[in-house]
Amino acid sequence: MKKKILSISLVTALLFVLAACGSSSTESEGSQTADGSKKVTLKIIHWQQENINNYIKEFNKKFEEKYPDVKVEYTTVPADATYDQLMQTRMNAGNNGDVDIIPLKSSFVGAPQEWSKGAADPMWKQWIDAGLISDLSDQSFIKNYNEADIKNAMTYNDKVYGVNMGKVAFTGLFYNKDLFAKYNLDIPETWDELQNAIKVFKDNGVEALGLAGKDVWPIGLAVQGLQASIHDDQLAYIKGLWTGESKLTDPVQIEVLQKSQVLMNSAMPGFMGVDYGTLPSLFATGKVAMIADGTWDATTIQTANPDLKFGYFPIPGSNDAAKNQNLAGKYDMTWMVVDKSPNKDYAMKWLEMLSEKENYTDFVNAAGFLPTQPDVEMTSEFIKGIQPYLEDFKLSWDQLFINRQNVGQYIAEASVHAEMLKPAGPIATPEELAGKSQADWDAAAPK
Amino acid sequence: MYPFGKGKARLIPYLYLSIPLLLYVVFGFGPSLVTVLFSFTDATGVRGQEWSFIGFDNYKTFFGASNAGDRMDAIGRSLYFAFAVVIIQNAVGLFMAILINKKLKGDKLYRAVFFLPVVLGVTVSGLIWQLVANPLGGPAQSLLNFFGTSSNFFGDYNIAFELIIFVQIWMYMGYSMTIFLAGLQSIPSDLYEAGYMDGASGWKAFTNITFPMIAPSFTVNMLLSIIGALQTFDIIYVLTGGKFNTTTLAFDVYATAFGTGTADYGLASAVAMIQFLFVFTISMVALFYLRRREVEA
Repeated sequence: MKKKILSISLVTALLFVLAACGSSSTESEGSQTADGSKKVTLKIIHWQQENINNYIKEFNKKFEEKYPDVKVEYTTVPADATYDQLMQTRMNAGNNGDVDIIPLKSSFVGAPQEWSKGAADPMWKQWIDAGLISDLSDQSFIKNYNEADIKNAMTYNDKVYGVNMGKVAFTGLFYNKDLFAKYNLDIPETWDELQNAIKVFKDNGVEALGLAGKDVWPIGLAVQGLQASIHDDQLAYIKGLWTGESKLTDPVQIEVLQKSQVLMNSAMPGFMGVDYGTLPSLFATGKVAMIADGTWDATTIQTANPDLKFGYFPIPGSNDAAKNQNLAGKYDMTWMVVDKSPNKDYAMKWLEMLSEKENYTDFVNAAGFLPTQPDVEMTSEFIKGIQPYLEDFKLSWDQLFINRQNVGQYIAEASVHAEMLKPAGPIATPEELAGKSQADWDAAAPK
Repeated sequence: MYPFGKGKARLIPYLYLSIPLLLYVVFGFGPSLVTVLFSFTDATGVRGQEWSFIGFDNYKTFFGASNAGDRMDAIGRSLYFAFAVVIIQNAVGLFMAILINKKLKGDKLYRAVFFLPVVLGVTVSGLIWQLVANPLGGPAQSLLNFFGTSSNFFGDYNIAFELIIFVQIWMYMGYSMTIFLAGLQSIPSDLYEAGYMDGASGWKAFTNITFPMIAPSFTVNMLLSIIGALQTFDIIYVLTGGKFNTTTLAFDVYATAFGTGTADYGLASAVAMIQFLFVFTISMVALFYLRRREVEA
């Protein structure tokens, strides 16, 4: 009899556990504060980028001090597709989602234009259209940001839906100043000068160029650098692809692929097995003279080797120095507030506090971003060093390009796949790859 | 007469069974059913967005869209993967099982070592092999350098997929070995003695006694490795993320649902359904032949 009672009670206990899983979990959330009231859990997700994560963690502590009834739950995952999945699953969990503040990896780009008939809506657009993202237009802290940046990076359909934290450039190369000085090299301003620098390093047994091929997209940074300096007007060219006025087999695009191939042939041996996380440490330890990486990694390099003297210059894709003068990049991190969140008020307060001049200044300095607020004092020597390249900041290819649906692998996702060329990939010539890309593009044309 | 007792006590086993049943319905059967349903809709995976039934459009997209060629390549790769894994993994597993069954000194240690990768799990195994195949000074690269050559390993279009097959076999050969070992140990030793009298020893004893006697474990191993190989997604994700021509049909399911910036749950569900039918058909055919062989033996 005793056994029976025990087993029945076990079963009922298990059933209760199961039932509890199914019910709304909002009530069980949050611990008790000292005075007995419920603590609010403000949920923020983010991707992993050490310098930025460290700052946000510090900031969260400050926020919790100011608002003692809030506990911030800050979750970070790898920046690749893992983060995209986390966004999706958290947004879809339950009726209110399972997140309060969600950052986009860039600003509101990629929405179909009138010239891109049949292109798919990006995730952020679907969310906003479905009414899941808060309208921030009337929030007082929006005024802290530059008017132009609000318009370019935070606005969709004439309403402000996000807070953009800054711009990054990624179409340049980090270079080791000591190594350049040792071999009497100046910053290369044309394609030929870059070739010469590579040759000098190689002749002296120094690895000239580091690329992170295993993750593929870091090669794309260099390729986008070539595109930004070789194309006269990237947006016109992309529009032309849709209307048929330009082709992926045009000489200008062949030139991009040819030069990408040259860069890959100049890269250190085994670069196709190097993952992105390893690249900064290779550079910081002086194993390679130059690496293709984004400006956001300057702090990572500095942390890895505080004594290293390094700078950053735009990849000179052209032999016309005037076309190589500017860096291209994108608006980075854009915070969005989940509209159905029960903690919306605190989410707004969080953004408000982060947007305060002092906190924002600390943030951009920690992140290595170029500010979207006026009169922010940058302490980083590195940022000051690249200021001249930023006077005419251009948007990079991946921010401008809009892809067709169901495209084949030669143009899918990143759209230009230099990594399929030898020595990295199986395709021998740029012409062959360009032909395949154009064929995939044509095949996907809306009927 | 009353296997579960009398009166209300009879109900207790059913009460117990209801827990796994409930779990299965909630986490297994239910989602599968929803997948079938989703595969006929244009659901995007965005909360609150309307979706409608669109018939077989997703299936048409799979077989007829402009990137259908890439999908057929993925199916071909799935078959290649399954074929290589099933043959090699079971051959190696059987060979190791026979050796260990010889009651060598330290056979328990060998058993543990060969089974270890199964316990380690995919992420750890993937990390181990990425470290071994690190192109910058990893042991595999040093070895190749010694012979005057080098490789990009998992970053190489030509060999990345074969390397994944290798890692998959390494991971699960211990599993096959254990099942074969169980089969081998159930063979009574007097069969071999009788065979020895009739002049069957060595290879003859293997083909005429061992092989027919382990038919049930052979069936189990073949089926498990066929299904496992056709469903493999995790190790590809860890080692190459589907880059360098390593996408299989199972990986395509993941890539369609989560891989691109725009979610398309309808199409992803259709891909999952095709993947299911693919695995189901192949394993049913295999099961038919394997069971027939068992009966004949």
